[in-house]
Amino acid sequence: MTTPGQSEGDRSRDEVLAGEYVLGVLSQADREQVEARVARDRAFAAIVARWQENLADFNEDYGDVTPPADLYARLEARLFPERSFAQELASAASWWNSLLLWRGIAFASLAALITYVALETGWIGGRPAEPLVAELAGEGNAMGLMARYDATSGRLQVTPVAAGAADQRSLQLWLVPGGNDPAVSLGILPQTGEGAVEIPAALRPRLGEGVTLAVSVEPFGGSPTGAPTGAVIAAGQARRSSN
Amino acid sequence: MASDNDIAALIGRVALRDRAALAALYAAASPKLFAVCLRILKDRADAEDALQEIFVKIWRRADRFAAAGTSPLGWLVTIARNHAIDVLRARKPVSDSIEESRDIADTAHDPETESIIKGEGRRIDRCMEELESDRAKAVRSAYVEGLSYQELAERHGVPLNTMRTWLRRSLLKLRECLDR
Repeated sequence: MTTPGQSEGDRSRDEVLAGEYVLGVLSQADREQVEARVARDRAFAAIVARWQENLADFNEDYGDVTPPADLYARLEARLFPERSFAQELASAASWWNSLLLWRGIAFASLAALITYVALETGWIGGRPAEPLVAELAGEGNAMGLMARYDATSGRLQVTPVAAGAADQRSLQLWLVPGGNDPAVSLGILPQTGEGAVEIPAALRPRLGEGVTLAVSVEPFGGSPTGAPTGAVIAAGQARRSSN
Repeated sequence: MASDNDIAALIGRVALRDRAALAALYAAASPKLFAVCLRILKDRADAEDALQEIFVKIWRRADRFAAAGTSPLGWLVTIARNHAIDVLRARKPVSDSIEESRDIADTAHDPETESIIKGEGRRIDRCMEELESDRAKAVRSAYVEGLSYQELAERHGVPLNTMRTWLRRSLLKLRECLDR
């Protein structure tokens, strides 16, 4: 019979106990006993540290998984709660207001639809505790913009959304081949989140320089006819990005 | 992936309460630590909560890193594993075992022999190969997934006490091999 507090003299028992602790097979109560002993018994702490070092080679089994993008903002909000979300929003308000100007701009190209603005440090003035989110909409406009600022990456993402929750519409992306060929649907733009559309493999060869991309406002879920039925709110020719 | 030196430097700056360093450390280490949480907790929401708790601990304990004298990523992973396993054990308690009598042979060696064979490679892989394969597998999955003795016994289809003996003897064999 032994407890972690009484077995100081028993080297192999200590080795096993420390190894079991590092492997993680012990119960919660046993783990706490071991940790208490690590705190007071330097020789035993060294045995535990050695197992940690020896077994660390297994860490390569874990690989990497990127956590959700908003997790760091949540962590910061917990660690540094001194600046509330409301305060951040107030300090950023004047800047957001200037964004409202955007609603009147007619979009000339698809490139303008999804805009990434890498913010210079301090532009907003301080680090937001939560991702800043703003919905930008004009009276009677068929579409609006969802702007989301992620403090972790310093990235402002602007995503188009069809306005009006009650009468929800979808934004549909079209490939306009030119000539008399009809527009081909490339898919529905996501209402929120990333403004990316997976292009069906069969259509990929047709996506090249010079084709026109257009976005129309369609009934929720997309055009019922397979051709654009609503107002085209944005269109532009694809070209090679210079950078 | 940032180098060990980069991560060590970041931990040092975090110990000085440098918030930008915390952000950089998070960017460098969170994918690995999140993978640890997911593998052990097997639940995304729990893993997200755990990752936050882990970085709260890192923020508070960064000053202890220098004293630990270990690899920086290893130190971070140890914090992550310990936290995830604590959450796991609190979620699903397992029976205590420290108070039980143990069937463990003493593996003391002739000190002369020990000194002769010392200095060979210390890699755990070489020593794992000396274990029977099912035992080596049990050791590795205990570590990587945070499995309890009960879960390991079920997975390997052996009685609980057999699994305890397997792992304890395996630990002693590993220690003996690693010390060679």
